[in-house]
Amino acid sequence: MKNRFIVNPVLCTGCRTCELACSFAHSVDGQMGRSRIYPLDGGMTDLWVPVTCLQCEEAACVKSCLVNALRRNPDTGAIELNEDICVKCMACIAACPFGCALHDTQHDLIIKCDLCGGDPACAKFCPTKALEYKPFETKKKKLAG
Amino acid sequence: MVNITINGKTAQAKEGEMLLSVIRRLKIDVPALCHHEAVEPLGACRLCMVEITKTEWDGWSKFVTSCLYPVEPDLIVSTHSDQVNEIRRTIMDLYLARHPNSPEIRKLAEEYGVLKTSYEVQVDGDNCILCGICTRICDAMGFHAISLVGRGHGKTVAPPLNEAPPDCTGCLSCALNCPTNFIEFSDQDDKRTIWNKEFEMLACVKCGATTITREFAEHLSKNRDIPFEYFETCDSCHRKETSLTMGRIAAWTKEAQS
Repeated sequence: MKNRFIVNPVLCTGCRTCELACSFAHSVDGQMGRSRIYPLDGGMTDLWVPVTCLQCEEAACVKSCLVNALRRNPDTGAIELNEDICVKCMACIAACPFGCALHDTQHDLIIKCDLCGGDPACAKFCPTKALEYKPFETKKKKLAG
Repeated sequence: MVNITINGKTAQAKEGEMLLSVIRRLKIDVPALCHHEAVEPLGACRLCMVEITKTEWDGWSKFVTSCLYPVEPDLIVSTHSDQVNEIRRTIMDLYLARHPNSPEIRKLAEEYGVLKTSYEVQVDGDNCILCGICTRICDAMGFHAISLVGRGHGKTVAPPLNEAPPDCTGCLSCALNCPTNFIEFSDQDDKRTIWNKEFEMLACVKCGATTITREFAEHLSKNRDIPFEYFETCDSCHRKETSLTMGRIAAWTKEAQS
């Protein structure tokens, strides 16, 4: 079974280790890149939500890309951006309803989560297991009677 | 798969792939000004010229633009032979005469040791090298707002009849991908001007931040079946909304479990 990226906000402490891991994993020419994951205030006390790309089935970013630079990787299921094809029109950034396509102003690159090609650094470094990359199991409930 | 030799190393390429893509994949620095992966190759700048030969050619070789040359089995390519470098220097020399004020051209020429042109400098020359990246990207995106007009000395990039192009949506792709940054535009907070056409930037309904123009958003929503509401909020406000929604769901789950 394929691995899934699972976010459990209840376990998140807002330590921002995932941001650091993401920035290092996506460094450009030895310089840290912009993080693709944002632990944000969930609107309640002691609740943090790591906001990252949900790799939508019918993704607005893929629809909005007029040069087909965004494509789904069949192995990981992640929508990956081909930086060589990208023309930096910012359509995906404006279109994403979750705000998870970003502009790295330092390196002038459009960025989005690519699940690190099947081995997400954020999940590896998360100390509380709020982010996990594992096969998804649904709990089977027995019907009474 | 096709096996070829580049600078003495064997490399594998897909059938029908252009030589330049293989060269770039091997991280060999071959200059090219008119190349962009989003569009079909044109071979306008001539800088990606390489020397090719085969063992059965009895020592003969030829020079081809690598962006337009599909790979062939057993091809032997040299990207920086003396003759190739000499060809590139000649082209840089000509570019320097035509576009003496372009910092991008000057930097590239300096890398190849061309500091001064040996031809007569065209004093009133602009920085447009007529590579057509802007027009080809505009076509690839389906706008067809600008094109190369005229021939010979008078050739320029321009919108139809030199008036504000009706098909332009102000996506800025032409200007941002121009190899010599020739296309002028102004990008203020709520207004964007390019090709003498003024655009209204679509401001976020919550914070007022702008990402794209209203016309571009309308074009995408109409032709690509994306709800227009998606464009009305900026990415940072979208993230906040997402965190609040997911936070609410997390709180419910917590309550349900306890």
